[in-house]
Formats: sequence, structure tokens, C-alpha cells
Amino acid sequence: MGRHYSKNIDDMAAAVLDKAIADAKADIEALYVASSTTELANKQQLLGVYILEALGLDGIPVYRVENGDGSGGSAVAAAYHALRAEEYNCVAVVGVDKPNDVLSNQQQDIYATTLDTYFERYFGFTPLSQAALMAKMYLKKYEYRYEDLAQWAVLMHNRGAANPYAYFRKPIKLEDAVNSEYVSEPLRLYDVGPLADGAAAAVLCNNRRDGVRILHVATATNPTPFNLRQDYDRLVSLEKAAEQAYTKAKIAPRDVATAEVHDSFSIFGILALEALGLARRGTAPLVVKEGNAPVNYSGGFKARGNILGATGVYQLVEVAWQLQGREFKRVDGSYGLVHSMGGVDKISTIVLMGL
Amino acid sequence: MKHESVPIYWRNIPQYYRLVAKRCKKCGTIYFPPVAKCKCGSVELEDYELPREGRLLEYTVLYQVGTDFLKQKPLVLGLVELDGGVKVSGQIVDARPERLKPGVKVEVVFRRVVVDGKHGLVMYGYKFRPVERL
Repeated sequence: MGRHYSKNIDDMAAAVLDKAIADAKADIEALYVASSTTELANKQQLLGVYILEALGLDGIPVYRVENGDGSGGSAVAAAYHALRAEEYNCVAVVGVDKPNDVLSNQQQDIYATTLDTYFERYFGFTPLSQAALMAKMYLKKYEYRYEDLAQWAVLMHNRGAANPYAYFRKPIKLEDAVNSEYVSEPLRLYDVGPLADGAAAAVLCNNRRDGVRILHVATATNPTPFNLRQDYDRLVSLEKAAEQAYTKAKIAPRDVATAEVHDSFSIFGILALEALGLARRGTAPLVVKEGNAPVNYSGGFKARGNILGATGVYQLVEVAWQLQGREFKRVDGSYGLVHSMGGVDKISTIVLMGL
Repeated sequence: MKHESVPIYWRNIPQYYRLVAKRCKKCGTIYFPPVAKCKCGSVELEDYELPREGRLLEYTVLYQVGTDFLKQKPLVLGLVELDGGVKVSGQIVDARPERLKPGVKVEVVFRRVVVDGKHGLVMYGYKFRPVERL
């Protein structure tokens, strides 16, 4: 991922999809496409059909899923439910976004359409500004200093260094984060996952013994507007999805050997740890500082990059590979999860996986 | 964003200019932005203009802005609790951000929000400013 000025969005998706299908040696009966910004940034609708065209895949149905930067998780959920209903035996999910086809201020415009476009975006709010308000309230409530939050970026950069597909593969020092410029105070440049072009694909099948199993997929929404929230120090959509996923799959937070969470802004990584039960409320910065939380071995949005709607599919592949010890160091355990979130705590999808 | 839509702007003017919310006739819950149905199940909602004074709960100074706000950056964006308890988010103006703090009394003011290029719309709406000069 990164900046792919030389590739069109359909070709970029087709390239990874082709690899995933060849790797799985499966006949694909449907394609699920996760993309957040293909209309606004790349001026393309019906993306799935053009991806098929590039691969010469003939006639199969395509479904496009758009749930903002949570599109990836939602597309995986849709594919999973179709398999569970035995509508198909094997399907592919591809996530793709190319924000670098437009200028950075236009990227802010587009990302801001995940907020309420009439009452938040209109007045200048962006996801970053809402994350900043949440960070400020969290730090005050639990009496942390900014340096405590900046530990997130340090951990993410350390982990991203071991991810061959990460956007940034360089460890940083705490001072680098603390001295970086304000983007929306208290958040600084290193609190923001950089928007990047990228594509990821996976093949999901019923009745296969090889590969990693999806144990449960849970989705929950939080339709309360930002201004009417009761609490600004928690991710409500994730709490609901997590409770459902853990209960259904009969798994406890301590069984999770790897979690890829939606840390588009550092504070969301902190809040995700707490919502997932990987840290008690108000303690995540301490857990992060210890340095061995089983979270974002990919480097997260900060180091892997924020590929908007494609990110959930990246996360799915990352967790599968971490469980298998492929491309990543094998994690110590059999269970992993993906947290994919759209907007500022508007929708969360959890994919629970096991070996 | 370039070329904002006239119908979208026009239909939201009651909210942008006068903060017209919806109040449930049964349970009294107030919704801003307006909703079609109350959480209590009632669809009997009436227009209700929000109070124009309140206090600042929290704010941030945003430096990475969208294209509409390049000339105004940085933006001070805040969360305000109006008298009566309804919270509204919006821009905080006429104040040096370093002097702002939670609890400061603010009032609604009517301001220009977006100028859509040379030939596009000039759009207005509510913002908040401290009651006392800071």
C-alpha cells in the first residue's frame, strides 16, 4: 500500500484478488467488494464488474458494500452470512480504496462524509476533530498526560516494522510522536493513521479443512448523533458487537491471541482495547505502555496505513496469517479477532477467528 | 466541498438559522438534529427552537480542514450544552482558543459558514461565541 499513482482502482483490486483465488485454489461463486470512496475519489460505480473484467471472471454476481471506513468488516460479514445460508460454497471478498487519486484536503472532505453530512461535515467537523474531542475528554477523565496516549504510536510503529505490507516500517521514539505537529489538539500527526492506497482480498469457503475458521461475525451500530452521546470515552458500537461475538463463540477476551483493531486515530485504539475487554476501562494507556498487548501486530492504521473501506479485509488477512505464522510471526494461541469500524463509533463489525 | 447543493441547503435552513429541533409531545425528549420518531415510540413530534445560551463542554482546534475551510483554518470546534441540557456541536468563534475552557458561557450567533467558490452559494448557520469577551 502507499501511493499508487500508476494504477487504476479496478486493476489494483484485480491483482490481489487474482492472487487470493490462485492461493485458495477455489471456484468463486460471488464477489463482495468493500470500498468507501470509489465514487468520490475515483469516479467509478459498479466497481465489482470492472474488477471481474480485468480478470476475465465471467458472469458471477458482485455485491458492493459501503459502510465508510468500516466497509471491509461489513463486506466480510455479508459474505459470511451468505455462506452460512448456503447460498454459495466459495466467495471472494476484496477491499480497495485509492484516496491518493485526490488531494489531501479533498480526502478530508470525503472522509468527513462518514459523519452527519448536514450537521457535522457542513460546519467543518471531520472524523479527526471528533476523535480529538473524545481524546481530550478521555485524558482528562482518567488523568493521563498526552505522553500516555502517544505510547500508542510508539507501539504501532514498532509492530509495523515487522509487517512486510506496512506503509511505514520504521520504529519511532516517544519524542517523535510528542514533538510532532498538532492536527486537532490534543491529537498530533502521530495520532493519525495515514490514508493510503491499497487492496486486499480473501477467499471464504464452506467445507474446507485447510486455512483459518471464522467462528462468528457480529455487527452493531450506534445511531446516536455525536452531540447527543452520553459518554465520549467509550466505543458503544464495539462494546455491543464484542458482547455478542464473545457470547456466541463462547470465547473470553483472555483467549484472544491477536486483535486487529480500528485505530484510525490513536484514541480509538485505546478505546477499542477497553471495549474488547483487553484492558479495564481507563487503563488501556497503561496496558499499551507495558508493550505486550496482543493488538495490531500489523502496526495498525498508524503504521500499516488507513486504507479506508479496504482496511477490514487487510485486517482479516492479517489475523489469519498471524494465527498461521505466515508473513507474520505466529501468535501464541488459537483465536484472533478483527474490529472494523465505520465513522466515529457508528458501526462496528467483529470477526472472530480460530485455527 | 465544491458545488454544494441548493436543495440540501434550503431544506436545512430552519436548523441552520434557528436551531429548530424536534420535541416529543409524549415524553418531552428533544432531538437535534430532528428525528422522525421518538425513542419512546411516539411519532408525535413538534418543532422546538433550542435555547440560545449555554456552556462550553469541550473544544478542539482543528488544523487539517476540508476544502471549504482552508481560508478559516484553524477551526475551533466544540461541544456545547445549551440551557435545558441539549448538547449541540459547532464552531466556536470570536475567542482565542488558548483562553477557552470548559464551563465558559456561550451564545448562539448567526454567521457565514461556507462560500462555495466565486459563483456558488454563500451558506450560513449557527456558531457559538463566549458571552463575555475572552
